[in-house]
Parts: sequence; structure tokens; C-alpha cells
Amino acid sequence: MTTRLLAPFTWLGSHGLSMTQGLGNWGSLITDTVRALRHVDVWGRLLLPQLARIGVDSIPIALFIATFTGIVLALQASYTFTGAIPLYFVGVLVGKTMIMELGPVLTGLALAGRIGANVAAEIGSMKVTEQIDALETLAYPPNAYLVVPRVLAGVIMFPAVTILAIGMGITSGWVTSLQLLDMSTPQFVRGLTLFFFPFDVWFAIIKATSFGLVVTLVGCFYGFHTTGGAEGVGRSTTKAVVVSSMLILVLDAFWAVLLL
Amino acid sequence: MKRRNETLVGLVLVLGVVTAVFGSLWLQGWEFGRTVETVEAVFSDVGQAAEGNAVKVRGVRIGRIDEVSVHPEGEFVQVVLRVDADVPRPPDAAVVLAPESMFGEWQAEIVSRSLYPHFQFLDPNEPDVLPGYALPDISRLTATADRISENLADLSDRIGIAFSEETAENLARTIQNVEGVSDRLTQLIEQQAATFDVLAARVEEATGEIGRAATASRTTFDHLSDLMATGEVEMLLTDVRDVAEGLQSLTQEATTTTSEFQKMAVRAESTFARVDRILGAAEDGEGTLGRLLNDPTLMNEVEATLVQLQLLLEDVRENPRRYLRLSIF
Amino acid sequence: MTIQLDDLHKSFGQKHVLRGFSLEVRDGETLTVLGPSGSGKSVMLKHIVGLLTPDRGQVLVDGQNVGELEMNDLYDLRRKVGYVFQLAALFDSLSVADNVGLGLHRVGGFREDQIRERVRECLHLVDLEGFEDRFPAELSGGQKKRAGLARAIATKPKYLLYDEPTTGLDPLTKAVIDQLILKMRQELGVTGLVITHDMESAYRVSDRIAMLYEGRRRFLGTPDEIRGTEDPVVRAFIEGDPQYLERRETTVEEAS
Ligand SMILES: Nc1ncnc2c1ncn2[C@@H]1O[C@H](COP(=O)(O)OP(=O)(O)OP(=O)(O)O)[C@@H](O)[C@H]1O
Ligand SMILES: [Mg+2]
Repeated sequence: MTTRLLAPFTWLGSHGLSMTQGLGNWGSLITDTVRALRHVDVWGRLLLPQLARIGVDSIPIALFIATFTGIVLALQASYTFTGAIPLYFVGVLVGKTMIMELGPVLTGLALAGRIGANVAAEIGSMKVTEQIDALETLAYPPNAYLVVPRVLAGVIMFPAVTILAIGMGITSGWVTSLQLLDMSTPQFVRGLTLFFFPFDVWFAIIKATSFGLVVTLVGCFYGFHTTGGAEGVGRSTTKAVVVSSMLILVLDAFWAVLLL
Repeated sequence: MKRRNETLVGLVLVLGVVTAVFGSLWLQGWEFGRTVETVEAVFSDVGQAAEGNAVKVRGVRIGRIDEVSVHPEGEFVQVVLRVDADVPRPPDAAVVLAPESMFGEWQAEIVSRSLYPHFQFLDPNEPDVLPGYALPDISRLTATADRISENLADLSDRIGIAFSEETAENLARTIQNVEGVSDRLTQLIEQQAATFDVLAARVEEATGEIGRAATASRTTFDHLSDLMATGEVEMLLTDVRDVAEGLQSLTQEATTTTSEFQKMAVRAESTFARVDRILGAAEDGEGTLGRLLNDPTLMNEVEATLVQLQLLLEDVRENPRRYLRLSIF
Repeated sequence: MTIQLDDLHKSFGQKHVLRGFSLEVRDGETLTVLGPSGSGKSVMLKHIVGLLTPDRGQVLVDGQNVGELEMNDLYDLRRKVGYVFQLAALFDSLSVADNVGLGLHRVGGFREDQIRERVRECLHLVDLEGFEDRFPAELSGGQKKRAGLARAIATKPKYLLYDEPTTGLDPLTKAVIDQLILKMRQELGVTGLVITHDMESAYRVSDRIAMLYEGRRRFLGTPDEIRGTEDPVVRAFIEGDPQYLERRETTVEEAS
């Protein structure tokens, strides 16, 4: 009887405890990573390969997504605007949405799948095969060796990839307008420039940078907290992708509230 | 492998930065490879004009609005235009801010001030700064036109049940005149293809008629005023004057946009047609002037409206060019 | 200059693995720890380099309390200790040569060619010449184990902790590794702590042998002493014959 009455409290206690513990784990990951930044000798050599892996290798998927997004945006805009609104608003819609929303977010989500999974799986399997312990015994701080280069690469390359994706999306929207919508280049460009503010680009860059940070950090976090062999690695990978995708959407709203 | 990585990473970063920087500049309307200079202008109000809007000379885009800021003392608004240095500007250059299209974006046009004597340009107190004037917002014009037509409609309702025979005849004539004029005006505005001279002549002709019509209607209303010249009514009249004055100034602004003018003409036409119908009924039947006198406000406003119409028509006669240009939007 | 474990306690959840284990490894000796599978030998070894911290008791290496060291001091200490992992724990993404050379990069002060030379030397010692450019996935279990050993000795540490260095190797390679452990002690004065299930190896390389049983030290003595011991648990273990035991439960799980 009493146990039933106390059940909610027990639930709260155990969940509160695990939540606090989770937050603590996050806190220590972040502080350790910030502290590991001073081991430039450790992560310096490792940054370049990560830049290539996280940035360069993500370009094809990012551009692929952006291309089709641009096409759909242009067609959908013209479909919506038919009659009431001049066609050059297709340019407005493609430009604004690509730069401020879909460019950063879709790239972020695609890379969350690619990079988040990759990082979590790699670090997770290193964890379960004691490679991280081995790093420690060789006097390498694992945060400096594994987390810092990945997070830095994410923070540096996400904006670059996002910008290229945005450029690609706008270009494909433009080509679509020319080929399928009977618009002219000046018309499209007029719409593009109409409501453009340089802030839009900053907004995209800020978003992409935060997405890069979150995706790589979440990947590292779940990688480091992997237990239980190959199955555990699979679990961590899934969690990393789900959590970083969710965080991207939350951050997206957060930046919109904060900056718009 | 490593060399290849370095190259690729560098390439992606450089491409990203270049895309971001040049893309932003381009989308802001930066003209690459042209000499650019800044021009300052002052305004008492800038309407919906904002940073990034186009700057034009004779309809050709030559730059963009770089900065809009209220003067530290709050007296006026300073606007910095970034324009192509190679495009010559008229000696008495002034800047007119106006809607570029119906969808909210505005433009700044550099014009010769002498072409627009009726615009109330704000005069700068420094040399090299251009005087500026912003056209009233389209939504304000529409609201004014709405009020005018509402008043007319209201009045016609009341007139329908209260009128003397003589007044009614006068009014009917007036209305026929106004109707005829607005017909011609409508035609005129539709004939955009006609040459400027022909058009100008027609405008003159048409406005002459409107003017006469307006005078006639004024006489009518004077007559009406005589009929209701009692002390009480006088007081009411003064009360209403403020309202009428506000309307007056707005309508004056309305005269700067032909599309609005056209709308007014059309509305007036239908309203007057209605009045005509009602008057026909009034002529047949009976009515009490007393009912109308209970609400002289309407009367007064209609009179003011007619005065405005007259002013407007005079303006059209004097500056047909302004209306021609605007009708092209 | 010793490794000293004092009254070490460690639990994982309900599982009480170490229950007051004490041991001192003297300077320059090679000490072997025996014990049933799952008795906590690897756990004990991880405490020495601070991969695990004790719930109670302490670990002193060179007089420093490992559990309470600052991060920097801990890393300094780890540079003096080589660790051979039970399952090698080679870095998958690095070639064998890079695996072995990684510690040298961290120590610093070596030129690339010096590192390459040292890597070659270490691989020669474990009989893996020519495997420099292979990746761990391309090695057999025994080759991995030897590569792990090469990685541990590359920085010439003062202490070497071997977690089952010979398990799963053929008798000949086993002998080579045993020779290597002996050579480390004799020529370089390395203090060694070896975990093994292989009595033959234990007798061959050890100065002293200890046994971990039910979380505590059950036995400590020279190879000769262990051969002559009357303790049924130890006898059963070294003879590989359960009849010495009344009870068959040997693992910690069952005991707890
Ligand atoms: N990280 C951990 N979390 C939970 N339990 C653990 C952990 N590490 C070890 N254990 C448990 O501690 C006990 C001792 O494990 P340990 O690896 O030390 O055994 P061992 O003596 O090395 O065995 P073997 O000879 O088979 O290698 C085992 O029951 C194991 O399940
Ligand atoms: Mg073990």
C-alpha cells in the first residue's frame, strides 16, 4: 500500500537522479573538452583528417538535398502564387527559405545522420574494445584526441557545407524557374534581392555552427557512454542521430526566437 | 592522401567563404566593377522605404538605399543612397520615395525637383544633401477614398427621404455633370497608349468640366446651407469642421496618385448614380427637409469633398504629367 | 619505486569484485598474478593506471596515490607505465606502425625517422617485422596481441603491466614472449606485473607469484613456494584439477 503511494516519489527520485547524472555527464564532457583544447599537440595533427571527413565527404549529400529542395521550393512557390502574386516572388521564397531555414536545417539533419552516427559508432566501438582505455594509458586525453578535432571540424565545416548547399539550392531553384516556370533571370534575381538582408547569411552561419557543435558533441557523448558490445554501439548510434536531430530542431526554434 | 585532404578542405572552406561574401554582396545589389558613391537626402517621413530598396533615375536602377536613420534631434530622417557614380543626376535633384509595386517594396527615385512643384520636399540645411519627399502610403489613400464614398452613400440615403423640389433639380443636374466627367476621366486613364500631348489636352478638357460640375454642386450646397441656417445647426457645423479638415488634407495627398484618383472617380460615379435614382423617387413623392437638417454633418462633409474634387481637378489640369506617369503602374 | 596496492575494494553495482586486495610489486621484479576467470585480475590492473578508481583502499605507484592525482600528474605517471591489454585494444583506424608509434609521439622529442626506427625495433622484438602497414583488422588474434605488446614497450616504460600476454598464442610464440618479458626485466630493469592463466609461463618469468581469489589475495610466494603449497584452492588452480576443492564455485559471481 505504502509502496504504491510512494511510487510517484520513487519514480521522481530515480528519474531525477538519472537526469541529474545525465546532465553531469554532459557537463563533464563539455568541461573536459574545453580543457582539452590546450593540448594542441594532440589534436592539431588530427584536425585535418576530420575536416576532410566531416566536411568534404558531406558535400555530395548536402548538395544533393539542396538541389531537390530548390526545385521543389520554386515549383511550390509558383503553384501557390499563381494569379494573385507576381512570379518574381518565387525568387523571394526560394532565397529566403533556402538561406534562413531549409539550407541550414536540412543540411544539419542530413549531417546529423551522417556525422552523428559516424562519430558515435566510431567512438562507441573504441570504447567497447578498450581502445579509449588504451589511449589513456598512452597518456592521450581522450577528449583531446577524439572530441576536440571532431567538434572543431563540425563547427568549421558545417557552415561551409551549409553555405554551399544554400548556393546550390538557390541555383537549382533558379534553373527550375527558367526551365519550368517561364520566368526570366532578372525576374528571379529581383525576387532574390528584394527582401535580402546580410543578416540572413549570418543567421544561417550561426545556425549551421551550432548544428555542427551539437551533432559532433552528441555523437561523442553517446560514443563515450557506450556499453555492451556491438549491440551497445548500435544503440548509441541510433540515440546520437535521434537526439542530435531533435536538438537541431530545438536549436532552430531557439535561434528564431532569439534572433528574429 | 594527406595532400589531397588539405587541398579539398581548403577548397571547401574557400568556396564557402567566397559564396557567403560575394553572394551577400550581390544579393544586396552590389554592383561589381563600378564606381559607387553615396548621396544623402532628408525626409520628414520615409513611409515604408528601408535599407536595400532600389534607387532609380528615370526608372533605371542605379543603386540601393544604404542607410535610413532618424536625425539625432528627431527632426527628420536621413537616408544614405549608394549609387552608381557614372549616372548623371539633374541639377535640382531631389529624391521621391514611392511604392515600387503593390507588394510592399519601395523605391527611391532621383528626380528633377522642378517637375514636382506640388510635392512638399523637405529642404536640407546642408549643401550636397538632397531634399526628399515620400508619397503617402497607399493604404491611407484607400482609407480616405473609402470614407469619402461612405459619406456620399450615407448622404444619398438621407437625401432620398428629405428634399425640396428645387434643390433636387439642382442636385440632379450636378450629379449628371459629375457623372459625365467621371466617365471621361475613366476613359482617359484607360487610354495610356495615347501620346502625351493628346492625353494632356484631354485631361484639360475633362478637368474643365469637372470643375464646372463642382462649382455647380457648390451652389447647390450653398442653397442647402441657406435652408438650414439656424443657430443650432451652425454649432454642429463648426463641430464637424475639424473632421472635414482632416479629410481634406488626406484627400489632398490622394491627389498625387492617379490609381487612387481613378478609384475615387469610379466610386463617386456609382454613388452618384445611386443618388440619382433616389432623387428620382424624391421628386415624385413627398419628404421633409427637417429630417435632413437634423444631420447637417453629412451635408458639410459632402461639400468639403466636392471642394477637394475641384482642387484635384485643377491639379490634374496643371500637372497632367504627374498623373500620366503614375497611371502606368 | 614500487607498485603498492592497499586493501583495494571495488564493486560494479551489486557485484563486489575486489574485497580488500593488497599486493606490493618490488622494484625490478616480475610478479605474476593468477586467479580464476572473472575474479577481478583485469580490474585490479586497471586501478594501477587510474582507468578505474577504488571504492576503498589505495594504489601507490612511485609513492603517488593514483586515485587522487591531478590529471596532468596522472598522465605523467602513465607515461612511465606500459599496459598490454587482454584483447590488444589496437586502434582500428591506425596501421600497426602508427599504433606502436603513437606513444612516442605523445612523449615527444623524437624525429619521424627515430620513431620509425623504434617501431621497427619493437615489432622485431615481438616477431612482427613487415607488418608495419597492416591494419589491426588484417591481423590474427595472436598477431594483435603481439602488436599490443610492441605498443606497450615502445616508450621504454619503467613499469609494464601485462594482461594475459600469452593467452591464445602457439607454444613457440609463447616462449618468445616469455623471453621478451624476461629480457625487459634483465636488460632494462623493468618492473613487471603479469596476469596469466598459463602456469608454465608463470614459472618461467616470475620472481614471485600471487593468487587472487574471491576478491582477496589467496597466496603470495616464489615459484618454488607455490609448487609446494598445501592450499587446496591454489593446488586446484595450478594443477587444473578440481578434486582439490570441496566446493566447485570459483568465480566471484557465485561466491557473492
Ligand atoms: N566495467 C565493468 N562494469 C561492470 N562489471 C565489470 C566491469 N569490468 C569488470 N566487471 C566485472 O568484474 C568481474 C572481474 O572482471 P575482470 O575482467 O577483472 O576478470 P578477470 O579476472 O580479468 O577475468 P579473465 O581471466 O577472464 O580475464 C567480472 O565479473 C566482470 O563481469
Ligand atoms: Mg581479464
